[in-house]
Amino acid sequence: MRKIENFVKHTFKDVPKEEKVELIESVTQSLIEKVEDLMENGMTEQKAIDKTVLEFGTAEDFFNTSKKSSKKDKRKKTLAHYKNDLLFSVIGSIIIIAILVYTNLYFLENTIWFVIPSIGILWWPLTILYNLLNKKESRKEDDNE
Amino acid sequence: MIGSDIIRGHLESVILKLIIEKEMYGYEISNCITSRTKSKFEIKEATLYSVVARLQKKELITSYIGEKSYGGKRRYYRITPLGKAYYEQKQLEWVELKSVLETLLEDKS
Repeated sequence: MRKIENFVKHTFKDVPKEEKVELIESVTQSLIEKVEDLMENGMTEQKAIDKTVLEFGTAEDFFNTSKKSSKKDKRKKTLAHYKNDLLFSVIGSIIIIAILVYTNLYFLENTIWFVIPSIGILWWPLTILYNLLNKKESRKEDDNE
Repeated sequence: MIGSDIIRGHLESVILKLIIEKEMYGYEISNCITSRTKSKFEIKEATLYSVVARLQKKELITSYIGEKSYGGKRRYYRITPLGKAYYEQKQLEWVELKSVLETLLEDKS
């Protein structure tokens, strides 16, 4: 029965503390009841435990019925964060490129070398933009479900 | 086999109904659902216990530790008056929903 307890503890390891203890206790008890029932019907302990664990499902199944709204809040927050990231990266790269242009024109006005590092720096906002678009796409899919 | 998404909103009513008929413990509920629907719908334990926990929090059911007829202790669930009233409300809603869906989805040939 130790196995069942460990399994339940592991399944709900990310649950907020205030409900965790109670939740683990009640689910563990219910699963042990199931194992006992299966054993009364002639299963070996090992088999009964395996069957119980297999049929339990995941923590996601558990929270799908109750925690949907709070998940959505979290997702919106990250999307706004991604937009901030993009803004930051755009402003940051503009400043760096401006410094490069200035240095270039001030010290070596004959060779136009600032383009090369600028291309490298442009990958920064591009990557963030890519992330943002991906995030948006996956959000659309989630909403369609 | 019916997907759990489509039935999710009605699981509370289903479990309340079963407990009204007879006080049961967790695994008995899931067994009962499987056998009554002839395995067309099987509830995952994870889903079952989350619904049960929520019903308990809303004080629609209470639990007590009882002896099984042969051996072991089980945590049985019992309906409260509030739970019964809630179930009757849900039952009315279900009748309504059923007739609405029938009107909308039935083939009229």
